Parts: sequence; structure tokens; C-alpha cells
Amino acid sequence: MLELRKISKHFGGVRAVDGVDLAVARGEILALIGPNGSGKSTIVNLICGLFPLTAGRVVFDGADITDAPMHARVSGGVARTFQNIRLFGQLTVWQNLWVAQNSGEQRRQSFGRRWFGGSRGARGEVERTLEFFDLAHKSNELAANLAFGEQRRLEFARALSAKPALLLLDEPAAGMNAEEIDQLDNRIRKVRDDGVTVLLIEHHMELVMSIADRIAVLNFGRKIAEGTPASVQANPLVREAYLGTPEQA
Amino acid sequence: MDDYMIGVLSNIGVVSFVALSAYLLLLTGEISFGQQAFFAIGAYAAGIATALWGWPLALALAWGAVSGGGAAVLVGIPTLRLHGLYFSIATLAFAEMVRILFELFRYQVEIDGELVGPNGAEGFRGIRYIFDHNIDAVQFLALIYSLLVAVLLGFVLLERSQTGVAFRMIGEDATLAGLQGISVARHKVLAAGLAGALAGVGGGLYAHLTTYVEPRIFDVMLGVHSLAYGLIGGLGTAFGPLLGVLIDIGLLESIRPLAGYRMIIFGGIVAVLLIVRPRGLLDEKLVHRIGRLFVRSWPAKKDGRGKPA
Repeated sequence: MLELRKISKHFGGVRAVDGVDLAVARGEILALIGPNGSGKSTIVNLICGLFPLTAGRVVFDGADITDAPMHARVSGGVARTFQNIRLFGQLTVWQNLWVAQNSGEQRRQSFGRRWFGGSRGARGEVERTLEFFDLAHKSNELAANLAFGEQRRLEFARALSAKPALLLLDEPAAGMNAEEIDQLDNRIRKVRDDGVTVLLIEHHMELVMSIADRIAVLNFGRKIAEGTPASVQANPLVREAYLGTPEQA
Repeated sequence: MDDYMIGVLSNIGVVSFVALSAYLLLLTGEISFGQQAFFAIGAYAAGIATALWGWPLALALAWGAVSGGGAAVLVGIPTLRLHGLYFSIATLAFAEMVRILFELFRYQVEIDGELVGPNGAEGFRGIRYIFDHNIDAVQFLALIYSLLVAVLLGFVLLERSQTGVAFRMIGEDATLAGLQGISVARHKVLAAGLAGALAGVGGGLYAHLTTYVEPRIFDVMLGVHSLAYGLIGGLGTAFGPLLGVLIDIGLLESIRPLAGYRMIIFGGIVAVLLIVRPRGLLDEKLVHRIGRLFVRSWPAKKDGRGKPA
């Protein structure tokens, strides 16, 4: 479904990502792990087109999207969350989801429909997403006024409301307590079961080991391992680079 | 109502159009110092239409809107690729260009043995439509305010529409808006075009209100003021810039003892508010709170809550 072919991103002399090959298969949860600064978030940024690649190609669903603009990639089916929560704080929870979720559908709506509130289907879609993330009671609250945990959920909801085929989750568990991580685990599974492919970047190893079908490990911008959770855990290179440090394991 | 009062109210009404024009661009996060250029284009276009071509007023105002909007789209397509400060500087440069071009612009026709039409820096005299058609000041005032009410109604609809929400999304975080599938460039050009058309209508009204326009009127201060109206009054609702106009023209310019200190007080208000309330008196949070006092589900659709669609 998604294929990264020898992608590189250099910031001046810093090789943030250096010739990484990575393939994500349809319907799987692929976790991308690695120490801080190993290039995980950069890869997400490259996939969604936040900045241009230094080298390599990004192929999504058989089409080369290396040079496609951001909004075109979204309607093509790529959506993401941000590690540091990024919401439209001055808009309500409802509005945060309402426009996003139409990115694909909106194009098919007439101008008048868009002007007068979108189709009934679009509104129902927002309702369901709010229910799923337990945010329905906050529907008319400004996003900026939400509590941290709610903002995290809204961040996930916002990305999901763009109806992605491929969802990029950039450290969704950051700052969450055990119970919230449990709910997150369930939600990611549910999303995958609904047919969304997930690329998960995460430091929380328990979550990664619990839900990932496969894991790829980055270190210094290069991929050093890829495989099932068990095989990655057993890999000495990975242990040395990442899992071996006690405070992160 | 005495003539002075009518004059002040007409002035407030006309300037509100430019203020709303700047406000619309502020929604998408762009600071334009050049909306007076589209005001000028609208004024000249509408004035020429009635005085030289003999068009009816309604058609002339529409023509002013089309000229202002068209010019704004043409300018917007290249300049909206610039970001932040660079866009502001580009709009400023463009507006000065337009003003200087109007100083060179001569297009006069002899009507009843008299030369009528724009005459460069001399200005454009004899836009006498309202005299020729016996429209008195109160009737023209009513016209200004009916159009203003229609525009405000449009804004209320816009704020409830997905297009309006998309504008605000772009204003808050253009990258994130792009990542939500919103075409940032297209929405910005749309906003610029609508804003230009609004300023154009305002210009057309202004030309017929004063019967005389000259390039000097459309200088940078008009642009700076229209921008400041939104920043003072608030960016949470279209009534924000109107509040700004009321404070400036209604209070400072029109109360005679204050008039001499207008710019000093106005500058002070801007400075203080930018520190205390960076998004104006009626900012998003306040508007949201007020809205919820009246409508529980505001601003989502009325059937957006409770009833599953």
C-alpha cells in the first residue's frame, strides 16, 4: 500500500533520514520505533508532504506521490496525527472534525451544499466519530478548552475524520496514563479492523508490542531491523540501540 | 436626523465595507495593507459607470464589486504564495501602485458641455447620480445600510458553512488545514476575491455618496485603519470590525472635542488592545461564550446535536 524507496532527507549536513526502504502492507499495523532523533517523525513528515525529499520516491497505492501537494495526499487517503498536539483551538470540537472529514467527500458535494452545512451523511459521520472517541458531550466546546486527554483523542479523531486509507500516528500515547493507553490500544485495533492501515510511531513499548503486526527500527536515519515483534525484540542490534537502555525498555 | 448625523452614519456604513474586507482576509490569517486599492477601483469603476456610461446605480455597484473582486483575484494569485510579512508588504506596494496609477488616469467625456470623468490627480468630479435621480441623503443612507445588512447576513452564513470554517482553519494553522485536505491556495484566492468585491461595493457607494473621488483619499492610512478595525473590534465575528469602525469614526472622529486627538487615541487603543486582547474585543472565545448563551448547539448545525442524522 505504501512504499518508501530509498528515501533520504538531509538538513544541511544532518542526515535525518538516510536511504530508508520501507513497505507498509494493506491492513497491517506497522510500528516504527527508534531512539529520539532517529528520523521517525521525519519519515512521517516526508510521507505527508510537509517538506520535499532529498532523494528517493514515495509510492502510495501504486501511484508516485513524491511531488504531490499535501492536500492532494489527504484526499488520496493519507492522514496523520502530531506528536505535539495540533488542533484548531479557536474552533469547536465539532468544527475540527466537520470540515476535515469531508476532504474526500467535499469535492463531490455541490458548492451550495458546502455553504449550507454539508450533507446529512457528513453530519452523521461526525456524530459517529465523536461517539467513538467519547467526545460527543464536548461537541460544542472550543478545542483549546479541552483537557489534555481529550485533546489527544480529538487529535486522533481529527486525523481519522479525513477518512484515511493509511493513518500515520506520531506518538499517540505521549503523556497518557495506563488507562488511556488501554483505550488507545483498543481504538487503534478497531480502526485497523475497519480497514485502515496504520503506521505507528511510538516510544511506549508495551503498546507497540501489543498491537504491532510488524516493527521497523530506525537508528541515526537508517533502518537497522524489521520483522515481527518477537524477532525485533531478540535482535542484538536493536537491543544495543534502543531496547537495551533500562529506562526505555 | 440632522445632516451631520446622516453624514457620520453614511461614513460609518461605507467604511464598514473596507473593514469587513480586511477582516475576511484576516480570517485566513493574511494581513493586507492594500484593501483601499480595491475600494478605489470600485469607486472609480462605479463612478465611471453612472457618470460616463449612464448605467443605473445597482448595475454600477455590481460592476464596482466585479472590478474590485477581479483585481483582488489577479493580485491574489501571485501574492498569496507569499507568507506573512511578505504578503503584507506586497499588498502595500500594490495599493500604492494603484493610487499612483489613478493619479495618471485620465478618461474624460464631454457631457452637456462639461468635461466629466477621472482627471488624474485632480480627481473625478461630477458623480451626480443621486442628485440627478433625486435620491436624498436619508434614502442613500438606507441603501448603504441595506447592503451592509445583506453582507452581514452573508457573513453569518459563511461562518456556519464549511467554507467559512475552512477559512478559519487556514488562519489558525495553514499547514494543518492542508493536512486536513483543504486546498489552502484556492481558499485564500476565494477569500481575496470576496474581500476585493466587498471593498469594491464600498468604493462604489463612497463615490456616489461624496460625488467626488481623488486618488489622495485612498492612501495607506485607509488600509491601516480598515485592518485595525478588525483587530480592535475582534476577529470572532463580522460584528467585530463594525465595532471597530464605530469606535473610531463614531466616537473619535465625530465627537468634535475628541476629533483633534483622534489618531493619538486610536493608536493608543490599538497598542493596548494588541497586548491585552490580541484578537480584539469580540474574539473567538468571547463570541463562543455569548453564542452558547443563546443557542445550546451554537455554532454547529441545529440538528448537529442529540439527534443522530
